[in-house]
Amino acid sequence: MTAPSLAAARPRASLVRRLVRRVGGWEALVGIVIVAVLVTLAVLAPLVAPHDPEAIDSARILGRPDLGHPFGSDALGRDVLTRVLFAYRVSLSVALGSVALAFAVGAPIGLVAGFRGGWVDGLLMRPIDLLLALPALLLAVALIAIVGPGALVALVAIAVIYLPIIARLVRSAVLVVKAQPYVDGARAHGASEPSIMLRHVLPNSLGPALVQATVLTGFAIQIEAALSFLGLGAQPPTASLGIMLNEGRDVLTLAPWVEIFPGLALAITVLGFNLVGDGLRRRLDPRGMAR
Amino acid sequence: MSPRFGYLVRRLLLTIPVLLAMSVFVFLMIRLVPGDPVRTMLGFRATDENVATIRAALGLDRPLADQYLAWLGALLHGDLGQDFVSKAPLTTLLSQRLPVTLELTILAMAVALIVGLPLGVLAATRGRWTGRLTSGFVVAAISVPDFWLGIMLVLLFAGTFHLLPPSGYKPLVGDPVANLRYMILPVLTLASGEAAYILRTTRGAMDSTLGSPFILFLRAKGLSEREITFRHALRNAAVPIVTVVGIQFGVLLGGAIVVESLFALPGVGRLIVTAVNQRNYPVVQAGVLVVAALFILVNLLTDLVYGVLDPRLAEGGET
Repeated sequence: MTAPSLAAARPRASLVRRLVRRVGGWEALVGIVIVAVLVTLAVLAPLVAPHDPEAIDSARILGRPDLGHPFGSDALGRDVLTRVLFAYRVSLSVALGSVALAFAVGAPIGLVAGFRGGWVDGLLMRPIDLLLALPALLLAVALIAIVGPGALVALVAIAVIYLPIIARLVRSAVLVVKAQPYVDGARAHGASEPSIMLRHVLPNSLGPALVQATVLTGFAIQIEAALSFLGLGAQPPTASLGIMLNEGRDVLTLAPWVEIFPGLALAITVLGFNLVGDGLRRRLDPRGMAR
Repeated sequence: MSPRFGYLVRRLLLTIPVLLAMSVFVFLMIRLVPGDPVRTMLGFRATDENVATIRAALGLDRPLADQYLAWLGALLHGDLGQDFVSKAPLTTLLSQRLPVTLELTILAMAVALIVGLPLGVLAATRGRWTGRLTSGFVVAAISVPDFWLGIMLVLLFAGTFHLLPPSGYKPLVGDPVANLRYMILPVLTLASGEAAYILRTTRGAMDSTLGSPFILFLRAKGLSEREITFRHALRNAAVPIVTVVGIQFGVLLGGAIVVESLFALPGVGRLIVTAVNQRNYPVVQAGVLVVAALFILVNLLTDLVYGVLDPRLAEGGET
């Protein structure tokens, strides 16, 4: 009786193993699951959240965690789990938005700078390099000082931090790709320079930047939280992880759950993106230093 | 001129345009504020007369190039301007705040090196389980946001066991013991992530050095593993480690903004955040300028250390 079930189990095991190898290891698979679950929860927050994120309940001020409120309640009696789920929407939107913006601006700059070289390269990259001459968080704070606080400003500020990273990565990949024989081949075939740049060089130069973008998304969530923790990001009453962590400090010894759960949620999110990023890096560079 | 000296001079000269560009950025900050920065600072109840007075005091009523040259000239004489709220000279204010930030970041980097370097070497030379444990530490320490870690440390060491003060500051000069008691939690908070980066870089650099042919040769010569690891491999792995220490110093300066606010340390970071919230632009400008200049200086030092560690880099730059 056992033989057939074993035989049936074996191909499934190898399927899982193949999947693990495909995504770059067990850790990466765990990361993918974490990110997928969190994104789903964020998108479906209004449907899956057990309570109203803004609902104040005077009977449940600093209420302990229980079945109805697994993460407890905050100083206004609001459900912490619900607020974490809604805060994810803000965190993920800001993080994905900032990385997308940095990519949309940085990738073309890196592409043109690397492909054209010479004075074009200098003209495009020198100002970008200047952005690297400031500590990242200081740059974000300086930009917010100019425009004023807010979630959208935080998004743009994080994008400005990431812009030089993306542009540099794309540029160095372009330098390698444009020296490949198939690029000469396309040129010999009579392809125009813009067509070579867009059809042959660009698609083959995005890999490293895309991998980095995964890791950067995780850190963007962290930076957004740090900025709103300082009062420079999203403003109350918006549920944001940074604001929740700042408010939780006031009741730290009375009701540690108000502080612990949003922080854990934040750490797990960043962990998920880091694991996926490390896995992708291993896939691109199997001998690499991405351990 | 020896190649090393040439490298030094060239690297010093390269710093000047970077500093100038930085000064332009910081100068333009207040001018880029949408609408009228003076009205934003003073609030909407300010009279036109008040606005005009402050605008003249900040020199905002003069042509832009004039403003910049005057500002830069004052800067070169060590005059950072005036706090717009307290009227105190900013050079004095910054010179009081900067030592706190420096102490915090230098101690944090020292702790990160003390933890990260040996663990990185261990991870590269010991078995699989050491590697796995350190990998776990790296990914956890990088993922946990520093300010939350700080709050958890406060909950544990100040809230539960009452071993350390939750926040505040005592000057180093006068009472070094009390100063250290106040610095322990902020330093640990700031150091955890850095330790992870240093560990990861050390392991990577050691891995690739230990795999190179000259190590095989030293083994064949009969040198002990200890001697190979510490005298030969670590020295050759130093350049990437120094790079990361240099880059991460900037991350520490950024992290200090959050950690100082969290632990109520009177450093430059907290000064900047308070000033941003009060829209006290002259203070923001001075703070950003000082931290940026510090970071540029650290980058310069890092490059100079390269020249010492690996003379080929200095000489290679000559061609």
